[in-house]
Amino acid sequence: MLCKLAFGNVRRAGRDYLVYLLTLTLAVTVFYAFNTIALQIDMAGVSEQNPGMGETLGGIISGLTIFLAFVMGFLMVYANNFIMKRRKKEFGLYQVLGMSRGQVARVMTLETVFVSVAALVLGIALGLVLSQLMVFFTASLFKTQISNFRFFVSPSALLMTVGCLAAIFLVTLVFNLRVVARAKVVDLMSASRQNETIKARNPWISAAIFVVGLAAIVVAYVRLLHDGLPYDGQPEGMRVFLITTCIVIVGTILFFFGLSGFLLKVLQGARGLYWRGLNMVTMRQLSAKVNTVSFSMAVIAMILFLAITSVTTGMSLASVMDSTVERGTPVDYTTSIMYYSQKIADEWNADPTISGGEGGVTFAAPTEPVDLMAMSANQTLYADTPDAQPFDLASITGSYVQVDAYDSTPRGADAPLVTLKGLCDAVGMPLPAGTESSDVDTLGLQVISASNYNEYLAFRGMEPLDVAADGYTLLSDMGATVTDVYDAVLEQDVELDVGGFKLHPVQARVNEDASVFVNSMMGMNSGTLVVPDEVLDALDLPPYTSYLLVNYAAGPDDPASDAYLNADRRYNDVTDGAGNIVGGWGTEATRSTTYESVNSMNGLISYLAIYIGFVLVVACAAILTIQQLSGVSDAGKNYRILSELGTSTREIAHSVLTQQTIFFIFPVVVGIAHSAVALSVIVDLIELFGGLTIGGMVGFTALIFVIAYGGYFCVTYLMSKGIVRDAVRARHVG
Amino acid sequence: MDQHNIGAHSAKPAQVAGGAASRVHMTIPNPTVPSSPAPATRAVAPVLDVRHVEKVYGARNNVTRALADVSFTVMRGEFVGIMGASGSGKSTLLNCISTIDAVTSGNVYIDGADVTAMKPAKLTRFRREQLGFIFQDSNLLDTLTARENIALPLTISRVPASEALVRVEDVAARLSISGVLDKYPYQMSGGQQQRVAAARALVTNPAIIMADEPTGALDSKNARLLLECFETMNRDYQATVLMVTHDSFAASYTQRVLFIRDGRIFTELRRGTSSRQDFFNRIMEVVAMMGGEGSDAL
Repeated sequence: MLCKLAFGNVRRAGRDYLVYLLTLTLAVTVFYAFNTIALQIDMAGVSEQNPGMGETLGGIISGLTIFLAFVMGFLMVYANNFIMKRRKKEFGLYQVLGMSRGQVARVMTLETVFVSVAALVLGIALGLVLSQLMVFFTASLFKTQISNFRFFVSPSALLMTVGCLAAIFLVTLVFNLRVVARAKVVDLMSASRQNETIKARNPWISAAIFVVGLAAIVVAYVRLLHDGLPYDGQPEGMRVFLITTCIVIVGTILFFFGLSGFLLKVLQGARGLYWRGLNMVTMRQLSAKVNTVSFSMAVIAMILFLAITSVTTGMSLASVMDSTVERGTPVDYTTSIMYYSQKIADEWNADPTISGGEGGVTFAAPTEPVDLMAMSANQTLYADTPDAQPFDLASITGSYVQVDAYDSTPRGADAPLVTLKGLCDAVGMPLPAGTESSDVDTLGLQVISASNYNEYLAFRGMEPLDVAADGYTLLSDMGATVTDVYDAVLEQDVELDVGGFKLHPVQARVNEDASVFVNSMMGMNSGTLVVPDEVLDALDLPPYTSYLLVNYAAGPDDPASDAYLNADRRYNDVTDGAGNIVGGWGTEATRSTTYESVNSMNGLISYLAIYIGFVLVVACAAILTIQQLSGVSDAGKNYRILSELGTSTREIAHSVLTQQTIFFIFPVVVGIAHSAVALSVIVDLIELFGGLTIGGMVGFTALIFVIAYGGYFCVTYLMSKGIVRDAVRARHVG
Repeated sequence: MDQHNIGAHSAKPAQVAGGAASRVHMTIPNPTVPSSPAPATRAVAPVLDVRHVEKVYGARNNVTRALADVSFTVMRGEFVGIMGASGSGKSTLLNCISTIDAVTSGNVYIDGADVTAMKPAKLTRFRREQLGFIFQDSNLLDTLTARENIALPLTISRVPASEALVRVEDVAARLSISGVLDKYPYQMSGGQQQRVAAARALVTNPAIIMADEPTGALDSKNARLLLECFETMNRDYQATVLMVTHDSFAASYTQRVLFIRDGRIFTELRRGTSSRQDFFNRIMEVVAMMGGEGSDAL
């Protein structure tokens, strides 16, 4: 009996439950589809390249899902509250008719069960379809071929989804039961009357609040554009940034708080417009609703801002890597050695826990660079196994070159001869964003000799550079922000005084292509000074880093050579002739692994961005939809009156559309404005790694979001139209 | 002239209605004072002409006949009351006349136009231009001020703001509600709300103003104020008012009362030159007689 009542209720309250069902179904679909990531990655052939990728991403997604389930849970509670509010009278009536609270609670529980189960079944069905399709999407994200496609069902994803839904269900239920348990029958019965009170706010005050909010937002924008983002956790920068954040949050809330009052005042100023058709009704409805929804509009604007900013930033970073990886991987394999400075060597020798005290090792600063090819032969493949064998880099090497970079701080000196800060000062430019760290004065550029650089150029198949006896040039592949400084230095023909030698630029611009010493997805060479050999010899600079660039004997990207280099290997100590340890092996990378990690990183970032962004956008849109529908049905009586006064349903629907457009558009507009400002600052940071390119992926994601958000908007409008039509049709019963 | 009209339309159903006819005919009191009411001198054509209107609810084996062959006319500038017990069909009649509900058969002519034959779009426009409504609950838009509520029918009809606002002020002054123009409905008393609603109905200068139990939710003082408003509207604006009520006191403010029972016009009373008190007493007599026959007390 109760079951029948509950089922009937769900059917009757179908429209209210529809948004609830729709959102929950979408959540289930997305939860399931994204949680099959491990299987998808397997099928898309990603795991062949990155064996751990599936598990890693799967783990991240599961964690995210739990977080998003929380968000969804609260959304569902909100949606459910809306349904409950409308039905308080009904629940009161049940009790007046003699049902116990327990029975009413059971009816409500059953209703929630029906809807949740329906959402689960629908959502899983859609999720199954979506997850099959997503395999192709995944393959294209990770740039792989689908290896073993088959219809698949993921029990773990299923379990995860059901678990999340159960949690959402329980939370919703607890809130519902509280409504029944707490409310007095008399309150329930009079609930609809209570809802009708409308507090009108003085539109002048609202308009003033709006202006203050807008001003605060502008101030925050100016502050952010002026101060930029904080780096390196400097407390001062952090404090400034926090204040800016607070200002923008308060500003956004005030903005929405006063928005309708402001619009009302503006429109009232235009008398002909205000006193025309339903314009004043539209405006008054808007401003009446603002009390209840302005705060959530502000929150939605902020959430959309977060979604837009993180998705765009993530994807831009991904596409930056995509665009720089080709330039960043000029050879098959690179490795490097970082040398110890005298200071570090002395410190470590003095520390028995590092040097091992008596009978231990000795650290030293090298007098000259070591031969990397020879040194690598001391490494061991498959160490501590029966297959142990010496590492023979030469066996797979076709051609190679070694670049020896020196520290720009001469032996015995305290300060570097050339620093980025010095160069900035020379051309009157500020330090690039992200480089204003505290040790900016002591960090010098690395220095290489002209002959060594020409060896590198010859190896790369490039034209040699004539540095002459008093020439210099600068190298960097870090992208516009840093390179711009070097370009300015070269262009303005800045004379460098390097240890008494007066040097002049021999190039007008930095050649970024001819600046890559290490295979990497982003720029690694933050600044290298090329000087004549005689100058380098005379300066007495200590070796800083040596790079080894190798092309395979078996041809570019030879898989066997890649496999040889990726095999398990024990690194040896880097020693000089006397047996002192003079440095450690630095990063090494083959072109293939760099590409793979770029693809994986891109895939990962895109995946997470879309997942988070989609759920957040759906959540925001669902809240707006529920609010609008509740607003429209609260105003049903008003719409009936309008109809009786001779307004056509079309005109009423038009007024509703205007209101809803304002409610849906403004949070997006504010969110986008915030994002635009934030992104323009973030762009500076990303440019440090090679410039910002908003690729097709961002456009694609934006399209998905627009469809989701716009879909909710359409649903809202169509359902509102239905509510208006019903309200207009409602007759006076005499 | 008037009498002819009424005779033609209201007496006919009684004659053709079979068994009930003779009884109904007998209970009709003597046709009231012959002297013709003042409005008839101003206009000759009836502003409302209801002919053989029938309204049936439900389908097949569950049919409710809310209105059965109702006919009557209202002249321009008349203030007419419709009385009847709840369920008698008086609100259905008003809804049919006001185009909110559709008739099952018969015709309703307002200012010569047959509203039962109009398409929805034309109906909307017609309602906007020719009809004014006042309901038991004032039906003001709760989000609008009194001024905006009164101006609403004008803005919907695209009357220029300058003209609309002048007309609002004018009507408000006549109905003594100038003081509440900038208040919201929830800041007004029930009586003030009803008078604002009356002003809203009046402001477009409609052919007929329909009032459905306008005093139903008011105390006697506010009810009297509102009814005086109606008299003002009727006198100063020559507004034609059709008021449905079950309150004999409210009905006594009208010039003519139609009594409806079981979906038919049972009888009618004319005030003529008699005093309101006298008219009230005569209404009470009919009410008592109708009640005495075992139907609901009015």
